Amino acid sequence: MATIEKEVLNQPNMKAIKAPTLAEAVEKRDRLTESTGNYYGVKELSLKKADPIRYERFYSKLHSAVLAARESARFVAASPGSREMGECLWGITTAEGDTLALSLGFLSHTAIFPTAVRYMAANNYDVNDGIEDGDVYGVSDGLTGGVPHPGDFYSFVPIVIEEEVVAWAVGINHLMENGAPVAGSWATFSVDTFMDGLVVPPMRTGRKLQQESWWKAIWERRTRAATMNILDDKMRLAGCAMIHEATHKLIDEFGIDYYKTAIREVIEESRRRVLDNMKSTMVPGTYTGAAFRMAQYKGLQTIWSHADKNTLIHIRASVEPNENGLKIDTEGTSRWGHHAYNATPGASDAAVFLGMINSFSHNTKVTAGIELAVQRHYPKGSILNPDNEFTSNANPWAQTVTLNNIGFGAVSRAMFSFGYLEEAFCVDGNWGAWQGQGTAEDGTAYGFTNFEWLGGSSRGAWCFKDGEPLVWAAWSQMATIGDAEEFESTVPPMFYLGRKLLPGYFGAGKYRGGPGESAVHWCVEPGQHIGITRPNGGLSSTTSVALGMNGAYPGPSSFMISARGTNLDEVNAKGLAPRDAREMLEMTDSGLLKVDDLKVWKTDCPELSMEHNDLFVDAAGSSGGWGDPLDRDPMAVIEDLDSGTCPDYDFVNEMHGVVATKNGSGNWVLDTSATEAKRIVLRQGRLDESVDVKDWWKAEREIVQNAAFFPEVGLMYNESLSFDKFRDEFTSFWNLPREFNVLEG
Amino acid sequence: MSNDISISKGIIEQLIDGKIDDDNLERLLKLPKKDSSRFFNYIEVLQGRVKWKDKILLRLSDKLYIVSQAAGKRITKCECGHEFGDYRSNWKLQSKVRVRKTAEEMKAVYDPKPAVPEAGWQEIREYFCPSCATQHAVEVVPPGYPIVMEMLPDLDKFYSDYLGKPLADAASDWYQDKTSGTTSNWG
Repeated sequence: MATIEKEVLNQPNMKAIKAPTLAEAVEKRDRLTESTGNYYGVKELSLKKADPIRYERFYSKLHSAVLAARESARFVAASPGSREMGECLWGITTAEGDTLALSLGFLSHTAIFPTAVRYMAANNYDVNDGIEDGDVYGVSDGLTGGVPHPGDFYSFVPIVIEEEVVAWAVGINHLMENGAPVAGSWATFSVDTFMDGLVVPPMRTGRKLQQESWWKAIWERRTRAATMNILDDKMRLAGCAMIHEATHKLIDEFGIDYYKTAIREVIEESRRRVLDNMKSTMVPGTYTGAAFRMAQYKGLQTIWSHADKNTLIHIRASVEPNENGLKIDTEGTSRWGHHAYNATPGASDAAVFLGMINSFSHNTKVTAGIELAVQRHYPKGSILNPDNEFTSNANPWAQTVTLNNIGFGAVSRAMFSFGYLEEAFCVDGNWGAWQGQGTAEDGTAYGFTNFEWLGGSSRGAWCFKDGEPLVWAAWSQMATIGDAEEFESTVPPMFYLGRKLLPGYFGAGKYRGGPGESAVHWCVEPGQHIGITRPNGGLSSTTSVALGMNGAYPGPSSFMISARGTNLDEVNAKGLAPRDAREMLEMTDSGLLKVDDLKVWKTDCPELSMEHNDLFVDAAGSSGGWGDPLDRDPMAVIEDLDSGTCPDYDFVNEMHGVVATKNGSGNWVLDTSATEAKRIVLRQGRLDESVDVKDWWKAEREIVQNAAFFPEVGLMYNESLSFDKFRDEFTSFWNLPREFNVLEG
Repeated sequence: MSNDISISKGIIEQLIDGKIDDDNLERLLKLPKKDSSRFFNYIEVLQGRVKWKDKILLRLSDKLYIVSQAAGKRITKCECGHEFGDYRSNWKLQSKVRVRKTAEEMKAVYDPKPAVPEAGWQEIREYFCPSCATQHAVEVVPPGYPIVMEMLPDLDKFYSDYLGKPLADAASDWYQDKTSGTTSNWG
């Protein structure tokens, strides 16, 4: 591409000017912001006030540069994940890493940009090594680069004017494979960072908008999908080169002084709008949420003895709107562990800002302004901010997505109370994916990731209607599960027997969540070998979040089924094949489909070697309901029965108290009077089968005092009790001495 | 064109009843800025629907309200009229609870079977109004987990700083969580 081949527009040492170092720039930015409460000390939006058209034209050029980068670069060279599904993002930041403009795509990664820049500043990259216009830096490390997991890869390109870094062009995408012991892009069963794959702290990999030759060798030797990763590397850089060129032209047109003033005003302007949005839609107070994830390693990962144990991860957070925006406090969340699910502050930010940007930046410029309006507390030592520098960050999204659900869910609750019902829904993000490695018959080795259930899951119920399937991907504006054929060509032995919504797979309520999805993957002539694993946001034996919305049930867990050694040819000969998890289980229960080794996995599976006619069935992307299930419109239940959305009459009869019969055409007909009577019975049943909470509390307190839990539950409590805030909440609720600890059962 | 628009009470009624059409919904979602009169219009609509006279201060959930009573009392109240006491103590403590602990019990509310939470690691708590049996909340948590207070609003800050209409009985000590004060008397 021309922008890569051409001479860069500005060379260093053109003038003997003493430019501030990056560290000095960061110090000034922080000092001015903290001392005034305004970004960079900007009190007046002077440029906007003096000539708003010019100001907006300036910003439009910045914004169009990043939009164009995405819409061009991913069609120049890219893997299916970036090209088809848009698992990518471009942005431009200030010298200090504060976002100025973002393309469509992985929007919340904006929050992470300052981490890598500040690391380079603090470690004198510019002073010791020099940072020149058009250099290329690669980043995939959580601790030094803020990257959520090393399956995401960042390229940073500095824009330098007269020896001063004035901006960074940034490109990001999700790799198809990142070279960990467990192949794919979320290394399951990782124990520490050394098992996470290609982890790169900020590192110069190219100059003058061109990668060094050795960098290609890294992709070829340290990952299993070199061709796709090199394509993506070119894609990121091509987009950054476009932004680089556009920014130089912009500065040429407007002048460096205007540029420097305008970028500060842009961020301050959006910060103010975000604050105004928060104050006009949030009810102040304290919102508390929780979620849980089971990490099952015991007996599945036995090589590293210190990690041969199960962990019940507890995510707890409170959201408190205040005069400076809102505060998210995660104290009480579990401590880090020797598993793949640890985050870093950057990874935690990437999750938190999904909901924050969606909720409060919708009508303003998406800049670092929102980061100034959200105060985050990730206690040191917790899973969100480990006090060990070698923790694995292979799959923090499995748990941080619940942190987003809690924060975003608090916004929903607030908007419901405020009367903005059109914005209130059950927030979920029960993503799924599968990954692995193989060796073809001719000896060609390859690695892969199938993102499909990451690209689109169902949206939870609104407070006024049912949730919708497949439309939700909190991490991108454009939910898409991608083309089946793309993934079939990416993983040659695996074909889709079915790919559809899974009936009945959602949280019930007055309004139900959108149904989740399920696919049946069929292994055909695998060559020498193929092995599959499955990372996930909800593959955890728990619901996606702990709290339902207003009497509804939260979205159910993800799961998967492996069926190895099947009589699939016999089933196919009858014109039949399972198309989803439910059909798969029905066929095995009936004996139609015979399986030598059938396993249902509710947590991560170790690598599953697949042979010809083996099946791998997954289910993910479910979401929660809203409101009391007995308040559901009976006709909505009938429609769900007729459409197959709810396939089990006995289930909905007890869940919703709807009585119906099938007519001669096979359609369900509501019995109104019997439904009314059934609902009276169910309501009375609730009262008969429940106890006063006071009585429950007394009995449950005994359980707590005696630690009559699974060991994983007791360990979870002890970890969370090591943080004062949760200790106060826990011991005061159970009326126990403050020094109480749960004995391990 | 004014930045502030007004949404009719009819539209608010449609939202509450789940009868809003897609066009109006899209218009609401695409508002550049929310209508500032929404809250009091919303409260007025809600007040007209309940059978009791206590003044609604905030809607907590579908059928739960924080209301103001005489003598400076602010309580949580069900649409049916059941009173859950001081809103600063988690209303769940005054409800009835049914707990599903076994896989068989949980199977009645989750489908298909592999999607059922794992017994022992999780239990399902359903919180009911003691009078009308409305299921006001569901928790899916490990055994022993403290009941969660999902939302404790700072009503005085809301009414004075956000809405510009301070409550008559505003006081600096209203905003506090009194849940532990309730359980401390239980055992």
